[in-house]
Amino acid sequence: MNRPYFLNLLRIGLPIGGVVSILHRASGALLSLSVPLLLYAFALSLESEQGYARVCGFLGGGIGWLGMSVLAWASVHHLLAGLRHLGFDFGYADRLATARKTAWGALLLALVIAAGIALRGLV
Amino acid sequence: MRFRIYRYDPESIGKPRMQDYEIEFDPQGKKVLDALIALKDGLDESLTFRRSCREGVCGSDGVNVNGRNVLACVTPLEGLKQPIEIRPLPRLPVIRDLIVDMAQFYQHYRAVKPYLINLEPEPESERLQSPEERAELDGLWECILCGCCTTSCPSFWWNPERFLGPAALLQGYRFIADSRDQASGERLDFLEDPYRLFRCHGIMNCVEVCPKGLNPTQAIGKIKTLLVKRAL
Repeated sequence: MNRPYFLNLLRIGLPIGGVVSILHRASGALLSLSVPLLLYAFALSLESEQGYARVCGFLGGGIGWLGMSVLAWASVHHLLAGLRHLGFDFGYADRLATARKTAWGALLLALVIAAGIALRGLV
Repeated sequence: MRFRIYRYDPESIGKPRMQDYEIEFDPQGKKVLDALIALKDGLDESLTFRRSCREGVCGSDGVNVNGRNVLACVTPLEGLKQPIEIRPLPRLPVIRDLIVDMAQFYQHYRAVKPYLINLEPEPESERLQSPEERAELDGLWECILCGCCTTSCPSFWWNPERFLGPAALLQGYRFIADSRDQASGERLDFLEDPYRLFRCHGIMNCVEVCPKGLNPTQAIGKIKTLLVKRAL
């Protein structure tokens, strides 16, 4: 018999640890998917002076700045959330209250560092 | 008080739906289960849910209230946002309304052999433990198998047949940690599997919702540590 089941993700509250974990995966996927683009940009910049100028021009523009800011956030978030999970594996901070604090810490610290990197890119 | 409750009738061809109820009910000092019983008695006798001890011991009235898995009998009505949305535990097949089929959950529980394995002749009185050895079982034996933790776990949502889930893994560790048990090796052999154990990524939804305040993530971490130690 085919029975229905309830699994509406919009109706299930996700605790902060779950949010950080999903963002850890999303940031990891984003970083992996960006590798070909980054390699292409890197190769182009090494090809010639004009290529280098083109890459600089793109990264200096609005879309380039936005893309690099998002990737900066993805790198920092992935690193911090990864260290948090590594800590769990060694038995550190695996109590709920501490785990909530480290989740908020990883989330906010990644945003602050990424914002700092993004603002430096504007100057 | 206003409620929105998940309804499903297996005898009709319709899909599950949410039904709104409004009832005069003083929430002070009352729990979600009290309101469900009042709704069934006063408004709609077809509303179906499980309950037994009504004090957080039997674990039969696990439901999802406003997005969070809880035991209806120990969850205060006061402070809940209205309309209070009540749904069955996520991912388990719904038999009717708030009643889910726990067969998969129990299958995983059985798989970890939740009983003492000791092949030595039975002693005349009892198998003794030191107070320290007994203390190792605290935080493990209290599980009431309500299913709140396992059904809040995304790894279980995506792999309900292969990932054992936090409740079964907590029980698995309860016997690994028992000084009287002689089957730790076999138990670890069974758990050393990319799905059964290692689908746990430590997001701790299980710890967030456990109505008994237990920490399956910590127990799972200890199993992983034992596996690493054994490999070295």
